[in-house]
Amino acid sequence: MSTTATMEKPPTTDNPVFSVDGLWKVFGPKADLVPEDAELAALDPADLRERTGCTAAVRDVSFDVRKGEVFVVMGLSGSGKSTLVRCLTRLIEPTAGTICIDGEDVRAMDKSRLRELRRHRAAMVFQHFGLLPHRTVLDNVAYGLEVQGVGKAERRARAAEVVVKVGLEGMEQRKPSQLSGGQQQRVGLARALAVDPQVLLFDEPFSALDPLIRRDMQEEVVRLHREEGRTMVFITHDLSEALKLGDRIALMRDGKVVQLGTPEEIVGSPADGYVREFVRDVPREQVMTVRRAMQPGGCAGPTHPGALAPDAVVADAIKVVAERGGPACVVERGRCLGVVDHERLLGVVAGTQLRDGSPAPRSSEGASGASGTELRKEAV
Amino acid sequence: MATVTASTPRSLPTHLLRHRAVHKILLIALAAAVLVPLANAQWASGSWPAALTVDLTKPLGSASDWIIDNRDSHPLFLYFFGYLSNAVVISVHAVYVVLLGAGWAGVTALGALVAWRVAGLRLALGTAAAFLACGLLGMWVPTMQTLALMVVAVLASVLVGALLGLAAGLSPRMDKILRPVLDTMQVMPAYAYLLPVVLVFGMGVPAAVLATVVYAAPPMARLTALGLQGADKGVLEAVESLGTTARQRLLTARIPLARKELMLGLNQTIMMALSMAVIASVIGAGGLGDRVYQALASVDVGAALAAGIPIVLLAVVLDRVTGAAGAVDDSAEDAGRAAWAYALAGAVVVAVAGRLLGRLDWPDAWTLNIAEPVNRAVDWMTAHLYSGVPVIGGTADWAAHFTTWILDPVRDGLQALPWWSVLLVVATLSWLIGTWRTALTAVLAMAAIGVLGVWTPALDTLSQVLAAVAVTLVLGFATAVAAARSDRFDRMLRPVLDVFQTMPQFVYLIPVVALFGVGRAPAAAAAVVYALPAVVRITTQGLRQVDPAAMESSHSLGATSWQQLRQVQLPLARPALLLAVNQGVVLVLAVVVIGGLVGGGALGYDTVFGLAQGDLATGLVAGAAIVCLGLMLDRVTQPTERRTGKGA
Repeated sequence: MSTTATMEKPPTTDNPVFSVDGLWKVFGPKADLVPEDAELAALDPADLRERTGCTAAVRDVSFDVRKGEVFVVMGLSGSGKSTLVRCLTRLIEPTAGTICIDGEDVRAMDKSRLRELRRHRAAMVFQHFGLLPHRTVLDNVAYGLEVQGVGKAERRARAAEVVVKVGLEGMEQRKPSQLSGGQQQRVGLARALAVDPQVLLFDEPFSALDPLIRRDMQEEVVRLHREEGRTMVFITHDLSEALKLGDRIALMRDGKVVQLGTPEEIVGSPADGYVREFVRDVPREQVMTVRRAMQPGGCAGPTHPGALAPDAVVADAIKVVAERGGPACVVERGRCLGVVDHERLLGVVAGTQLRDGSPAPRSSEGASGASGTELRKEAV
Repeated sequence: MATVTASTPRSLPTHLLRHRAVHKILLIALAAAVLVPLANAQWASGSWPAALTVDLTKPLGSASDWIIDNRDSHPLFLYFFGYLSNAVVISVHAVYVVLLGAGWAGVTALGALVAWRVAGLRLALGTAAAFLACGLLGMWVPTMQTLALMVVAVLASVLVGALLGLAAGLSPRMDKILRPVLDTMQVMPAYAYLLPVVLVFGMGVPAAVLATVVYAAPPMARLTALGLQGADKGVLEAVESLGTTARQRLLTARIPLARKELMLGLNQTIMMALSMAVIASVIGAGGLGDRVYQALASVDVGAALAAGIPIVLLAVVLDRVTGAAGAVDDSAEDAGRAAWAYALAGAVVVAVAGRLLGRLDWPDAWTLNIAEPVNRAVDWMTAHLYSGVPVIGGTADWAAHFTTWILDPVRDGLQALPWWSVLLVVATLSWLIGTWRTALTAVLAMAAIGVLGVWTPALDTLSQVLAAVAVTLVLGFATAVAAARSDRFDRMLRPVLDVFQTMPQFVYLIPVVALFGVGRAPAAAAAVVYALPAVVRITTQGLRQVDPAAMESSHSLGATSWQQLRQVQLPLARPALLLAVNQGVVLVLAVVVIGGLVGGGALGYDTVFGLAQGDLATGLVAGAAIVCLGLMLDRVTQPTERRTGKGA
């Protein structure tokens, strides 16, 4: 699944859509003093609460969301990820820092400019859907357009198209209470899509759904992204969802971003023990690419046996290597970048090998033991 | 006082409560030890000391004289109250003319068709039958008078209430100011609202309408605010994320989301307006209430019943139809405007047809005179049931016994108590149940009664309230326990309670006068009947909502059903029981005061007397004392600490 998703994703460019720098959100009395005070800013959450009565939900967060990418913010509950995404369109007013959308300062916007941003440039999908219970599916989807002042006939026509796009054909006249959870979230998604926003913001959109429906919806998002190439910011607490959807992932803990990188970077080189613990159970062969696993340096021959693309995941390489019974080449534009053999592939699966070929640093909590179990599990 | 402590702490947080209760008692005892000898030395008298009263009769009398003198000349009256009063008169009259112009057939058709659109066929038939019954009883014209007054009063109440509710629902600051005011208005007896408006507007329709608006607007305001505040935060956030303006949010999300509460508010406002429109006959509202009032004044039970039945029918129909309108589910399909258009067109056709046939007024030949047979039946009852029935005695005997054995001793006991000890009891009770703030309010309210110089009649009213509350609670709790334990009994009881809860306070006086004659006992009986349904309902609900897991576990331990009731249900349902007591007290007071009309005496009588004699000073003082009494009784029985609301 993730293979196809990552391979067929539209190209991302380097223009940031959202550019966030030094963002703080502090709840509590005299919240604006906390980010300014270096001493307070450095306190951990419990101490901060004790000293000032304030809670810092987002602490000094910086990142860029590039055009066309799916940017995932991941963290456990209470890590500040939902607050962060609400700060982007100022549904929650940030305490300090800057947010730019296409180079325009969001925090400096006046009311009407901010409404314009919310109406046309960034639309949000919510965990609990937030549908209007007294309106039909069609009118819920058309609501964003209605708010913009689009005429009734036109907004209904446009909403009807989007309803089809999210697979709710034939349910236009139902009320939200007559739909299942998954269908309701499709309405939420359609409502956001109907205004044709530059960026889609997702706040844990699938957490309230059953696992099977969740998978359907994830695939729906992948499909939409593939078809439209829209920039997305996706909040989730589910690591597999993050790995499946994200071009890049920001992992948050206690309001801070502890690591920001591609799924491969997060799984392959965790920044600290917290991240390592987090990604411990991830099946690495589904995430890591052969670019990382290979022994750099070209092969001797001109035939490039195996001929794997550098973006192919290790699981695919294992298949090729096993079928060939020997090492395979990693080839990009007809040039051989390196070679993978079963030893290097196993090293990735076991988590003992990093990019430069040196063994992974062992943490004191016995990461090797954990990896050992995992290896066995994977081998079975 | 020691007995009070011993009996109160009997529930889960016993330790804590006992701890706190003991503290409170000690503090009060300390304060009493200092203050009582002082007070006693200064003003030693059993009743409220004359030195501490302020005679308001003169200033109030001169104020009312001034108002009467200046009603036609002072700019305030000319340019404000005058216009207000004219507007009310004109609009009531306009509605009345329209109703009469539509004829009985048109009004019946309109009512039935609206009920059909809103609530279905069954209620449409019920509505038609109710209107026809009003005509049949020869009460068509008074019914239309009451209806006209109601229409205007309800529209004004809804407008005022919705605006206040909007303000409170959107601004937390406004909510903080309005909430205690509305809470307090809610517990005031309807009667207390009559006098101030009479003072300004004089007797008549404007005063009646305005009193009704003041009485009926608070539920609308409360429920509107509640609905707006209770809107799903997730939906509001989603709506905001789409870039809505504040106005768009209000119109497309907040108000539609509050629809259920708004419809409930409308329902309650209509019911309260009906209740008040009937009581306001005392200040010249005319219509059905006036017929009941006149009939009761001459103890003509038959005539009172003929006017009372239409009131009950109106109440039931209005309640069911508006209730059904509120219960319509969001998921239901909107049937569209065409059906409404058909309904209205149908009503117009019937009205025009009635007009063309010259059948506008209800034909005299179709009326059914029930007054005479009813009066014959009452006479028979007087002759055979009032007294001398072997073994069980008669109703009049019961009333007499109730008066001599319960009402008199309680009243005499209360009046014999030194005034400071009454205040002390009030302070202790209210502090034990609530906070020091509720206690302070209660004591101040009670003291205000003394200061107003109506200590003795107030204690008389209080004795009636206490006796009626005791009876209500005994009957109510017993019924509720039975209903909570037997589904069948509950199912049987439910429709009865529904009907009883919708009836205006006034009509309860009719049957008790028929049964018990006039006096204090029938007033108390009417109060019991009026308060009983609410007490039963709240208690049953409380008992039924007890955590099933707790019930199951006690069952699995082999508890008998009596043990279960005593050890699990009653303790866990304590908040509901307290609420039932509070409601019981408030409702009983409302009717005991009205009982002044049928010989209840005391404050209620003073109020009526003041109104009837144009002696507004007496009436106003009595009215103010009723307000204070209501405030005190509510605070004494209000477990504020356990409620989310603020203190006094």
